[in-house]
Amino acid sequence: MSLFKRKDSLPIPPLDAEKYTTVCQYCSAGCGYNVFVWPEKRSGTAKSNAFQVDLSQQNQLLSGFSYTETMHNVITRKNGNKYNLAIIPAKESRINKGDYSIRGGTNAQTAYTPTGHTKDRLKDPLLRKENGFVAISWDDAVEIIATVTKSSIDKYGADSIAMKFYDHGSSGLGFEDNWGAGKLFLSGIQTHYLSIHNRPAYNSEVWGSRERGMHELNYDVDDARLADTIVLWGANAYESATVFFTEHIMPNLQGGSVEEKKQEFDAGEPAEEGRIIVIDPRKNATITVSQEISAERVLHLRPNLGTDWILANALARIAWENKWYDNDYLQKRTDMVTFEAYKSKSLQLAKSLDSVLAEAEKITGISRKEMEEAASWIAKPKTGGFKRRTLTLYEKGIIWNMKNYDQVAAIAQLNVLTSNVGRPGTGCGRLGGHQEGYVRPGAPTPGSIYAGGPPKNVDNYITGGGGKIYWVGATDPYLSTPNSKFFKKSVKKRATNLLDYLDNGGIPSDTKAYIAKVLEAFEKTDGLFMIVQDLYRTNTSEDAMLILPAAGWGEAVDTSINCHSRLLRIYDKFLDAPGEALPDWKILALVGNKLKALYEADGNKVMAERFSGMDWKNDAEVFEAGSQEFGDNKATESEEAKLSAECYKGVTHEMLRKLGNEGIQTPVRQDPATGKLIGTKRRYKYSFASKDGLFKWYGTDAWTGYPAEVAKYVDNPAYPFWFTTGRSQHVWQTMYNDKRIPAKLLTVPLPYLEIHPDDALKLNLKTGEMAEVFNEEGSCLALVYVNDATKPGLAFGLMYHAKGTMNNLISSYTDPKTTIPWYKGTKVAVKKYTGKLDDAIKTVSLLSNNDFTTG
Amino acid sequence: MSDISRRKFLQTTSASALLLFSGLSNTQAAPAKSYPSKKIGNIRNLKPNEPLAFNYPDEQSPCLLVKVDNETIGGVGPQKNVVSFSTLCTHMGCPLTYSKGRLVCKCHYSMFDVSRNGQTFQGLASQWVAQIVLRLDAATGNIYAEGVEGLIYGRIGNLKLS
Ligand code: SF4
Ligand code: FES
Repeated sequence: MSLFKRKDSLPIPPLDAEKYTTVCQYCSAGCGYNVFVWPEKRSGTAKSNAFQVDLSQQNQLLSGFSYTETMHNVITRKNGNKYNLAIIPAKESRINKGDYSIRGGTNAQTAYTPTGHTKDRLKDPLLRKENGFVAISWDDAVEIIATVTKSSIDKYGADSIAMKFYDHGSSGLGFEDNWGAGKLFLSGIQTHYLSIHNRPAYNSEVWGSRERGMHELNYDVDDARLADTIVLWGANAYESATVFFTEHIMPNLQGGSVEEKKQEFDAGEPAEEGRIIVIDPRKNATITVSQEISAERVLHLRPNLGTDWILANALARIAWENKWYDNDYLQKRTDMVTFEAYKSKSLQLAKSLDSVLAEAEKITGISRKEMEEAASWIAKPKTGGFKRRTLTLYEKGIIWNMKNYDQVAAIAQLNVLTSNVGRPGTGCGRLGGHQEGYVRPGAPTPGSIYAGGPPKNVDNYITGGGGKIYWVGATDPYLSTPNSKFFKKSVKKRATNLLDYLDNGGIPSDTKAYIAKVLEAFEKTDGLFMIVQDLYRTNTSEDAMLILPAAGWGEAVDTSINCHSRLLRIYDKFLDAPGEALPDWKILALVGNKLKALYEADGNKVMAERFSGMDWKNDAEVFEAGSQEFGDNKATESEEAKLSAECYKGVTHEMLRKLGNEGIQTPVRQDPATGKLIGTKRRYKYSFASKDGLFKWYGTDAWTGYPAEVAKYVDNPAYPFWFTTGRSQHVWQTMYNDKRIPAKLLTVPLPYLEIHPDDALKLNLKTGEMAEVFNEEGSCLALVYVNDATKPGLAFGLMYHAKGTMNNLISSYTDPKTTIPWYKGTKVAVKKYTGKLDDAIKTVSLLSNNDFTTG
Repeated sequence: MSDISRRKFLQTTSASALLLFSGLSNTQAAPAKSYPSKKIGNIRNLKPNEPLAFNYPDEQSPCLLVKVDNETIGGVGPQKNVVSFSTLCTHMGCPLTYSKGRLVCKCHYSMFDVSRNGQTFQGLASQWVAQIVLRLDAATGNIYAEGVEGLIYGRIGNLKLS
């Protein structure tokens, strides 16, 4: 009767099982894990085993040791032998203390097995022929890519090559792979048409903070336990950075960290249970869990879509008016010249408080009373005149909001105005989605429109017929890019044009003849040669000409940092990659080295030189090579702000292996006195990351309404719902692993829509039915949940799902200052679907996921 | 639970806490080799949404039996609406409370749908809660627990405690 196969006992690792440390492959929390591998036929005993836990007794609750059905798998190594694999949350990690989430708890189930859930992993390079894809050798694949790339550069210039690659850590990626991609695309090919996994351009999502002199990862997990007030702004921590919430935010709300506060705070400073402000149009689970703990210490503000920076500025104005700032701090640590622009444009000091707040009420939909309460929770000094300690974390609700730059800048400035950076219990930055691991040569666009930008929109370039080669790495833009229906349609057309040309008279089997014909097609058609490099076939790869098999998490050694402590750790190799799959850095190096050889053969020394420095023998060498990019990291504690946020210069794989779950916090500095490598717990205590060390203010724009791409819907009764998107607790990104795990697909079988009961009544919609969500951009068929997470007139959709994407509905608008899209807002119509309901609805839970009450 | 007691509860790591919350005695029975058949209730006495607590397959494994309002996966009775589950949260072993068709954990707020095979529809537990296999004796209305599908939290095997 179980919907899938269950286990009622698990194998025990013997004392001498292989043991590795790693970090979860998924979210920004970066929970530590221990990995055990042992031959299938061998077993430890209940009393003597590699876990060092007495397994003969019923385990007690919250012991910090968990070993569940989902944490075990049986793998086959390249030697043909079978092994047990157990991936266990690390109790000794200060990040998770043995805790784990529903995403990371299934790490073991994602391991490649020849007969299990992941058996369809890519195993060979695949070339598209008349009747589908055929396996080819790496030699042929590399020759095709390198030769076609070289000819394309020589004939049409470097900008004829475009790419869309991840730039982050975790998921089996990290510093090594990012350095590989940087060397090939930024040093070697030197195209300007670079874009980053989810977005149309090569940019930071937080230039609004970085250009102020404040990197977005400036706090430590401890700060979430020490804060008087935590602000989560467009950041659903319980469902997307789960263990950070349960291990660091929740204990603070429960009062479990009061003793820690007393030790860390100044003498006589009040230390109480924490408060939380959640700013989100939806009443999501982060809010309702917090309310379950202590409703009177939770404030929920629900601004109208796109209006958050107006709210942030209004809160800052209230703080200003009440003198909830430290003038001495502003004078010493911030740039009082640029402060004038902030005072006039953001604080609007020329207008009365009443008129500023009345206008903010109108735009944001938040009442003055709520604003005043929020501002006092953020900034009002505590009894005895002690500065309040507020940690403000924002995420997709802000960075993927309308006017990305101003949104981020406004929140950063509110926190600096109120001295909420650089002290225990404070900080202001991203909650993060994935982990990080960025090291690359300098990018062609250093910053926003105020600093060399804006970067080029590669989506527009490709859909408009630009480029010849488009290389997509570990991302599935058919699901994940904004305005994805249009993108898919345009790319498919260009890919088909290329295929049709090749197919006319037969696709040559000989590699050289094949290459010649591709080059001919470039001349005669607008055909696009798309290369997709990934773990599995993806929606996008169906239109690729070449698919390259990449190694995943645990199949190569890599390194990343988490977001809540910038904790650098090693993610060791404990699995063999399937078939011929290779780590990304190695694939990129094969192509880079081949390009170098081709240019050398041509006698073109200048071009050959651009592709040099990619002949790494192993991952440790790539890590080391990347570290040189950080330059000299000799610095005293008070000079830390000069260091790049992810600087790990001097750290080696060997060192990280010894440190295991302890890791080291970036930026890592070499202490001038002792020569020792020292991590950085918390940033900007002494100065900011600008040239003169002062925080640079910025006067944000005034409200001017919605951009044309969305404004067209605003007064259009055909599209009555405001629409926003987000993630689910259960699944990671496009579900590339999760759609293969039965429990996950059963729980989230379809894209889904949340709608308010009042609206559902009007549309005659009930939970468990299906609806079509649509606008002029596109549509998506979704399972309906009627609940109070949304408000009347606002609908919410799961951002994307293996079976459909809400990004079809999202406009092509990007912030003109940064080229970052507004993924999180548009307007739509909703229509009840009257066809046959999907069978998956018979087994999915239809209960409300934001109601935790048991009364 | 009040804030204070929850705080204490979360800070507790002693084995006695488990016994306290699951209402177990401290005696340990010898492990069974196969799942026992155990009478746990009678369908005629079950009131809707009023769960009945019992231990199965041994005294250290708290479970509940509940009659819900709708058809369930793996349920017994004419409406297939009588189901049974382990009440140890599969996340980290805290006690589960039945309410409104689901089992809720107050440690990290995992929630399991009792009608849908104990699936974690919200929260942290990556393993669905273990479901108890039931047999209904139509003549007497007696309900028997006769097996467990899925691993009970905190054990290397459901029948492997010593
Ligand atoms: S909270 Fe994030 S890092 Fe931790 S186990 Fe879950 S997905 Fe992995
Ligand atoms: S122990 Fe139940 S959710 Fe963590």
